[in-house]
Amino acid sequence: MTTQRHDFNAAPFLLEELPWTPRFSLRVRPANRAALAQALGLTLPERIGQRATTGEAEALCLGPDEWLILTTEAQRDALAAAGAGAYAAIPHSLVEISDREITLRLSGPQALTALTAGCLRDVEAIATGTAARTLFDTATVVLWRDGADSFRMDVWRSFLPHVRAILDKITVELKTGL
Amino acid sequence: MSRYRIPGMGRVDPAKPVSFTFDGKPYTGLRGDTVASALLSHGVHLMGRSFKYHRPRGPVTAGSEEPNALIGTSRGPGRFEPNTRATVQELREGLQAESQNKFPSLKFDIGAVNDRAYMLFSAGFYYKTFMWPRSFWDKVYEPFIRAAAGLGKSPTEVDPDTYAHRNLHTDVLVVGGGAAGIQAALVAAKSGARVVLVDENPEMGGSLLSDPAVRIDGRGSWAWLAEQLSQLRAAGVTLMTRTTAIGYYHQNFVGLVERVTDHLDQPPSGAPRERMWHVRAGQVILAQGALEKPLVFDGNDRPGVMLAGAAQTYLNRYGVKVGDNAAVVTSHDSAWYAAFDLVDAGARVSAIADTRDHVRTDLVDAARKRGIEVLTSHTATATYGRLRVKAVRVNPVRHGQVGAGRKIACDVLLISGGWTPSLHLFSHTKGSLSWDAESRTFLPNHKTEACQIAGAGRGLWGYGPALEDGARAGLAAVEALGRTSEPLAARVEGDRPGTGAIQTELPTDRSAGKAKAFVDYQNDVTAKDIRLAVREGMRSIEHVKRYTTNGMATDQGKMSNINGLMIAADALGKEPPQVGLTTFRPPYTPTSFGAFAGYHKGATFELTRKTPIDPWAEANGAVFEPVSLWRRAWYFPKGTEDMHAAVARECRATRASAGMFDASTLGKIEVAGPDATEFMNRMYTNPWTKLAPGRCRYGLLLGEDGFIRDDGVIGRLSQDLFHVTTTTGGAARVLNMMEDYLQTEWPDLNVWLTSTTEQWATVAVNGPNARKVIAPLVEGLDLSDETFPHMSVAECTVAGLPARLFRISFTGELGFEINVPSRHGLALWKAIHQAGQPYDICPYGTETMHVLRAEKGYIIVGQDTDGTVTPQDAGLDWAVGKAKKDFVGKRSLQRPDIVAPNRKQLVGLLTEDGTKLEEGAQIVLDPNQTLPMTMAGHVTSSYDSTALGRPIAMAVITGGHGRMGETVHIPMPNGTVKATITSTNFYDPEGERLKA
Repeated sequence: MTTQRHDFNAAPFLLEELPWTPRFSLRVRPANRAALAQALGLTLPERIGQRATTGEAEALCLGPDEWLILTTEAQRDALAAAGAGAYAAIPHSLVEISDREITLRLSGPQALTALTAGCLRDVEAIATGTAARTLFDTATVVLWRDGADSFRMDVWRSFLPHVRAILDKITVELKTGL
Repeated sequence: MSRYRIPGMGRVDPAKPVSFTFDGKPYTGLRGDTVASALLSHGVHLMGRSFKYHRPRGPVTAGSEEPNALIGTSRGPGRFEPNTRATVQELREGLQAESQNKFPSLKFDIGAVNDRAYMLFSAGFYYKTFMWPRSFWDKVYEPFIRAAAGLGKSPTEVDPDTYAHRNLHTDVLVVGGGAAGIQAALVAAKSGARVVLVDENPEMGGSLLSDPAVRIDGRGSWAWLAEQLSQLRAAGVTLMTRTTAIGYYHQNFVGLVERVTDHLDQPPSGAPRERMWHVRAGQVILAQGALEKPLVFDGNDRPGVMLAGAAQTYLNRYGVKVGDNAAVVTSHDSAWYAAFDLVDAGARVSAIADTRDHVRTDLVDAARKRGIEVLTSHTATATYGRLRVKAVRVNPVRHGQVGAGRKIACDVLLISGGWTPSLHLFSHTKGSLSWDAESRTFLPNHKTEACQIAGAGRGLWGYGPALEDGARAGLAAVEALGRTSEPLAARVEGDRPGTGAIQTELPTDRSAGKAKAFVDYQNDVTAKDIRLAVREGMRSIEHVKRYTTNGMATDQGKMSNINGLMIAADALGKEPPQVGLTTFRPPYTPTSFGAFAGYHKGATFELTRKTPIDPWAEANGAVFEPVSLWRRAWYFPKGTEDMHAAVARECRATRASAGMFDASTLGKIEVAGPDATEFMNRMYTNPWTKLAPGRCRYGLLLGEDGFIRDDGVIGRLSQDLFHVTTTTGGAARVLNMMEDYLQTEWPDLNVWLTSTTEQWATVAVNGPNARKVIAPLVEGLDLSDETFPHMSVAECTVAGLPARLFRISFTGELGFEINVPSRHGLALWKAIHQAGQPYDICPYGTETMHVLRAEKGYIIVGQDTDGTVTPQDAGLDWAVGKAKKDFVGKRSLQRPDIVAPNRKQLVGLLTEDGTKLEEGAQIVLDPNQTLPMTMAGHVTSSYDSTALGRPIAMAVITGGHGRMGETVHIPMPNGTVKATITSTNFYDPEGERLKA
């Protein structure tokens, strides 16, 4: 059953900007995935869209040889050092992109509806606990589904004013209940 | 209660009156009315004037196919809409409606003189009349035609409304909420599939709303409808009313437009007026029904002449009797039922004239029982009345001979030429049609998309067949999706089956050449026009259409296409499929620009990227310019400075002491991996093997064709790591190009690319005091020329922030570019601005950057190059690694055309009289040659240079490198400018200032 319908009683969604967190783009050949995961102390999921958490670090598979790693400030340097240490044996690229994107959280019963206003992809079909690289309006984003009504959206920093402005228009629209 | 409203009938709410005005006159309708039904309830049929002849017109339909009753509607400033269909616009409190194409008034219109000059305005009139003299076209004919053309008035004010957008994914989309569509949706929903049912009307039901007497499953059709709709809701089907499927595109992508607030008395603030839905459906079920055709005869457009089905709809759905005394002319059974409903509701129907020789006896009996005179084998040859029909003239037809005419008085004439399956959306998919010789109509044939067609849309008639076919289509759709469902049967009592005969224009005993027998009401095309087009050589329906404009109005020939085709085929003596059918194109009905724009309006019209330093620039009065998707600070005017003064001051300050510039928009790509050097060698023209870590090099990127695509300074941070910069506009393109080569040509290379454009904010500090400005902020690096010479890069700390520091220059001055993580960009900018105060540091924008680089002859890709400039042309052969085995574009650089000496080459230009040239101005070698002159090149960059005290320019000129010192000529509107060819390196040609 489709859940894209107007809910006149539900509050519009809640939109928050999440605090800065260290973030890396990891690239390695699929054959070296497991070995590098071990060296970095991470789980690197194999299927695109899958996520895996190890301690406080989370890895999202974005492509056959591409992962997005979220970690904590305390573990940031250790991760970079582990990468440097493993590099000679397992060539890879580990690039810090902590400042490239800003993350928004969209939650509440209308969060999904708000996203369908901008995402061409079938947002409903993104399973909880997975994520997808997609478009919101004309901006490339990574959309994480944390729950039925809870999403995170990583937006490139310079695109954020536009994305926020569109979301503001959608908020006003949803408040009218039409 | 208004004069023509019948108490107890219709789906309008008699307890809820709604006030509105039409041409300034107040009226009252009921909630649930359209503007048309409300006006008809007051006996008002005259609602507009036709486009070409300004003939008085009234509504001929009750739906979105209406060609005549087009009105202007308004709800306050900026909210005027022309060409609103009165048959679609729902009544709302205070609605202001006005008629169109009339002057001074709807009842007396001067433009109607065209009607009397009818014989002049035949098909091809414009083509034939406005040919000569040629010189009259621009000044006389075109302005006249433009002023006369067009329906309604264009709005002139900014639209204050908002528009919205949604994407929707569903398993099954059903278009059309009539009997077939409802059954299809229900069967599909029972399979567990996601189902969306859309209908353009304010409520679901389609023709069931106009046929309350039919009984389904033992209930009245309206009770049955209510039950089905509640079942659909319970099954989780999304029901969307007031929603038109406007286009059907590839891979089951369907565009919908939802009318959100046009029917509301007081729309809530912030509510969108319309919402565009982009639907991707696994299966589409088209249940759009059929559209009734008029009959074509003289005077078939007079107000009060209306499709029989429309009259039935006004009666049953709106409780409005369209007249007191009706006559009917038909070639289809359906009009008989409309007549019966009218009589049963208390109106008089004096006669039914049917073109057919034989009509079902049950219909004839039912008519006679109601006191209706039955006239079979009859034709209609004229109507009477000026602003409203008063009588129709009918004649018997015997063996092809039209007998004597007889006038039948009536205040409304119901006509029906049968029904055309609505194939518009199916045609959008390029699905093929086949001609059904028996029913003489086109039916859907070969499908190109995953769709089903159900009900009257594929030529079925009657509720029994439509319900059965809808259920079948629903089942077929879900089975195609790998699901199962139950068949659904419905029992119909009192069904209204029907057949009809297809006609050309009706036979007449009068001169056919003088008949105003309309085929296309909206474009005023008559049967005579179509026959004339054929006589004048048009053979294909596509040519007939364009010559006569038949079917080219906003209704896209919904009513006129088939009648036009039948007449053209008859004139050609061919079967209709041999003459062809014109293509239906989206949108199905006229669609507002707002619906297409959606949220892309005002501040969100286009995505605008902003740097972390943008807020400072805004607060400090920067004027911005768009650079690709970015907005960049253009210049920082002080006080009353204009751009020229501000740029001159910024240039002077930078060359005299220090300037600072937000370079954050430059593209940045991290190239990392054991094969990074090899990759760089293959991508860029320059050699990279010997570039030491900690050093930078200007990199030049070509396409396979050998032409310059991009450039930028590239720093080597370590053996396996390069920090590549690209042009602002080229960032995404360059990364894509690199990835393309890496994935398709060199998948063996162990190297990876990461976009870091937005990871880093970049501040450039230039000027003789640049080092002094930043030195106090820098930790962990000796900035002296000895240890950190020009073209160096290092990681260090600047203002307490982790930084990548480049010593590079795009100005010719001592220069540094400091990259820090973006979230610190603004802090870095402010720290440098503070530290630069003793040196009067000057923030500058992109215009000053352009001037300073031009003074040094540094190119800007896309300004001084245009995709046809090679490294040699640009004077950049020094950047090409000649000893390298290969790089992208290398082979092309050997082609004869590329090494030819007469190519356009980049040079400097200095004008003799000190005028500033215009960018884009064409250059000739000899100003006295005959016209047209041979262009030798054009100006690519031109600025006033403060440093040189005169304007400078760059240009590409044929064989320019070999013409140093020669004079060229730039012809301009107010005289020819002389200029001397020079080097592009205008300022500090020795480069001493870089080495400071």
